[in-house]
Amino acid sequence: MKHIYLSATPEALIASMLPPLEFGDYLSTGTKKQNRGQAIFFEVDLAQIEDLIDMESLNKRCVPHPDGKPKNSVYLSVYRVLEKIPLAALKSLYLTSDNGYTLELKKHTYDASKKTKNHLHLFQELLPVNPLVASDMTPSAFLKRLTDGSISIVLPKLFFVDLKLGGLAANPQKASAEYLPYINVGHLKDCLEVLTGDYEKHMKTVLRVFSGSILYRTIESGFYIGAKDEMYFYPFPTMAELEDTNYEFYRSI
Amino acid sequence: MISLPGASPFEIIAIWTILAIAFFGLAYAMFLRRQVMACDKGTEKMQDVWDGIRVGADAYLKRQLKTIVPLIAVFTVILFLSVYVVPPTDESKLRFAGYSDESLKLIIGIGRAMAFIMGSVFSLMVGQFGMRMAVQANVRVASASRRSFGEALKIAYRAGTITGMLTDGLGLLGGTLIFIIFGVASPDTLLGFGFGGTLLALFMRVGGGIYTKAADVGADLVGKVEAGLPEDDERNAAVIADLVGDNVGDCAGMAADIFESYEVTIVSTLILGVVLYTQTHQLSWIIFPLLVRGIGVLSSIIGTYLVKGNKNDKTNNALKSINKGFYSSAAISIAAFGVLSYFYLGDWRSFFSVVVGILLAVVLDEITKHFTDGTYRPVKEIAKNAKTGSATLLLKGLSYGFEVAVWQTIVIAVTIFSSIMIYHGQPIVYVLYGVAMTGIGMLTLTGNNVAMDAFGPIADNANGIGELSHLDKDARKIMDSLDATGNTTKAITKGVAIGSAVIAAVALFGSFITDVTKVQIQMGFDQTAQLLSTGIRISVPMVFIGLLIGGTIPFLFSSLTINAVTRAASQIVEEVRRQFRIPGIIERTVKPDYQRAVDICTVSAQRELVPLALIAVLSPILIGSFLGVEALGGFLAGVILSGQLLAVFMASSGGAWDNAKKTIEDGLYGGKGSEAHHAAVVGDTVGDPLKDTAGPALNPMIKVINLVSLLAAPVLIAYQKPGQTSIGMIVTGVICLAIIVGAIAYSKNGGFKKIPFEP
Repeated sequence: MKHIYLSATPEALIASMLPPLEFGDYLSTGTKKQNRGQAIFFEVDLAQIEDLIDMESLNKRCVPHPDGKPKNSVYLSVYRVLEKIPLAALKSLYLTSDNGYTLELKKHTYDASKKTKNHLHLFQELLPVNPLVASDMTPSAFLKRLTDGSISIVLPKLFFVDLKLGGLAANPQKASAEYLPYINVGHLKDCLEVLTGDYEKHMKTVLRVFSGSILYRTIESGFYIGAKDEMYFYPFPTMAELEDTNYEFYRSI
Repeated sequence: MISLPGASPFEIIAIWTILAIAFFGLAYAMFLRRQVMACDKGTEKMQDVWDGIRVGADAYLKRQLKTIVPLIAVFTVILFLSVYVVPPTDESKLRFAGYSDESLKLIIGIGRAMAFIMGSVFSLMVGQFGMRMAVQANVRVASASRRSFGEALKIAYRAGTITGMLTDGLGLLGGTLIFIIFGVASPDTLLGFGFGGTLLALFMRVGGGIYTKAADVGADLVGKVEAGLPEDDERNAAVIADLVGDNVGDCAGMAADIFESYEVTIVSTLILGVVLYTQTHQLSWIIFPLLVRGIGVLSSIIGTYLVKGNKNDKTNNALKSINKGFYSSAAISIAAFGVLSYFYLGDWRSFFSVVVGILLAVVLDEITKHFTDGTYRPVKEIAKNAKTGSATLLLKGLSYGFEVAVWQTIVIAVTIFSSIMIYHGQPIVYVLYGVAMTGIGMLTLTGNNVAMDAFGPIADNANGIGELSHLDKDARKIMDSLDATGNTTKAITKGVAIGSAVIAAVALFGSFITDVTKVQIQMGFDQTAQLLSTGIRISVPMVFIGLLIGGTIPFLFSSLTINAVTRAASQIVEEVRRQFRIPGIIERTVKPDYQRAVDICTVSAQRELVPLALIAVLSPILIGSFLGVEALGGFLAGVILSGQLLAVFMASSGGAWDNAKKTIEDGLYGGKGSEAHHAAVVGDTVGDPLKDTAGPALNPMIKVINLVSLLAAPVLIAYQKPGQTSIGMIVTGVICLAIIVGAIAYSKNGGFKKIPFEP
């Protein structure tokens, strides 16, 4: 059985004989290479992308090892992958902790008319670019603005996650940032203050360089992916729900 | 058999009742053992994991026994012969009137040697049997957690109570038996009993502390930090050593440690009680403390039955239930002491001393909790400092560690002052007796305390077995909850252990002054030259030198134990890294060789026992030989003061760093993987050997030094006449110095073999 995965950290299209949970463990803790680090990846519906990949090569390479062990990974592409994959081909999103426990997030269509809880947001873009951006736009407005060509920078698609801002989401001037784990919280506050001022600014880059991992506990609502008006949402459970539904993952983050 | 002039029928009955209670405590331990052993051990996979822990624990205990037994033999001979150096006391002559001098020496010599063996064997039994019981219980707790929280809690706590009852029963049995046989002559032999228990506790504490932290630090550094594996991951070659280490350190080491405090407070109280008995002819000075201990055993047993969880709960507040048992036992004890004081003593002074002791335990608990529990401000602040990196986190922890040492020492000072107030206007020996009674009170609930402590490794190991055998989520939640409670109970009992060690040491210090004076009277010293009259004058340069050197000993001890942990942890790191490179281990297709890591820890821990024991035993003799007996008193004061401060500092700062890390892991500042977490892991790793190796090892060390001083003081007085230089003493001092220097060199290098420098 072949599985196709779209890895977000780093971007790659990978074929594997491992099912998602085992693939997550493999990606995060590795084998002989002793890799270490969290993994975020989608499972992709192979049937919908057959015309995009060299199936003959895939069928040759993605076969069990001589000793019968399943093939862990066959890298199919490591560049501009998201751009090519149709959004409809994306199945569940998987988050793996850096010690190998994986959480499945189901795909939902996003109701853009739904009001968000907070006025200010912190978005960690993951694909195809990955700055950390503060914004006063809703996730759908943010996605649309970056993908619809209304500004000079245009992305073909965007995959990002909404991170917690605590009290700063409502009042960046006065609320305490004490419990936020981000680097240089002072700068984050400055960025949020710019968004609430009279500058006609709706996005502000907080960090240009992505560390390569997300603190899962700081996820506010979940992950978003889409382009223009097509948007999908992968809601992240609350800690209480997570403790109840995936205890191993909960303990590992 | 009992030779107690002036004993009332009630007192004769009381003595036998106390003996019966001691046996009852032991029988209750056996009863609980049967209950625990009757529980099921779970699935084949669980038993497979457990078997690794059991084999590792057995290997450690066997090797420890091999190292210790020759030393017990040597010290038994020395203690037997000591009576030929310093003749038996006048009280011994009175107790065994009619015997010739030679027969008397033989009786006391054999008594002292046998008491030493009894103390050693009892301490060894508490540690070894308690640890074996904990190992037997952990798999059963893991199995019970698949059914209910209540059942798992009950098995874990009752298994811990077995060790608690052994501590109570054997401690009470030893002291009472010696008193029944030797009567007023018991101080001559009690020292042997105390020394045996304390020396063994030192071995178990040092060995256990080095083992547990070498395994823990080594396993964490490669497994969690370097390879990113979760706690108790089966691919980590040190995982079984880590689980064995929890038993070795927190169960065997701690149980033996509390046992010797329990034993030493009885020894010092009986020694001072006999002094008061000879002055007042009231036997209650001796009988009352033994009755207090007897009541403590019974109230601890009652408390056990109050520790239970709700059968239908998935998880419950285990700490609440354990506290309910503890405070109920305390209330029952206080009420019974009151009744006893009213009807038997007709005097409330001893009652007040005992109650002050119980209050001291409660206050020390609260101080420890305040500075080390994650729900209070200090740990929250330490965690907050993790946001700015490990340096600020470490500094904040150091700052709080120093502060706890101040408060705890002040509380102990107030406790001693309360004895002065309770016995206001009485000679100093009454005050010292009051301090000893405070120690008796403080350790009244030893059964509960040891049960709470042993509960920690049992719950921790059960959780490890659950993780390694992939138990279901509900069972894991129950074990996580029990494990978290165990961490708190362990921290609390550490505070009690340190506090009781200081109180016991102060009581022994009192015994030192009275014993030295007794020998000085026997030797015909003028009253003005007797230690009870002169006191220990730190204005005398020799005494001040003794004080200074005494203050350095806990630092030397801590340096050597931390060095040993560092060295052994490095070996574990290399071993785990080596095994990670073996194809198949990371993929889980090949099982790691767990035994290698177990062997490394076992060998490293045992290697340090002899040099550290030699330092503790010979340093007071060295000081006494060169500087005299009064300077030895100064030396003891220095050891007690710096030992107390350092032990509290290390235990508290280590505990606070540990809980700061746990607070962050619970989700604060981003949880696991955040920058704050990385800083907190550094703090926890630094704190581990402080709180679990060096700090706890100081408790028995302080008392070994005190007891050796008590044993050596008569010899020093006999062979060191004022104003004369004794060649024998100088030669003894030089030999001690040479051995101590050799022991330090051996310990620093991990043996006499030169280790090549590896950059």
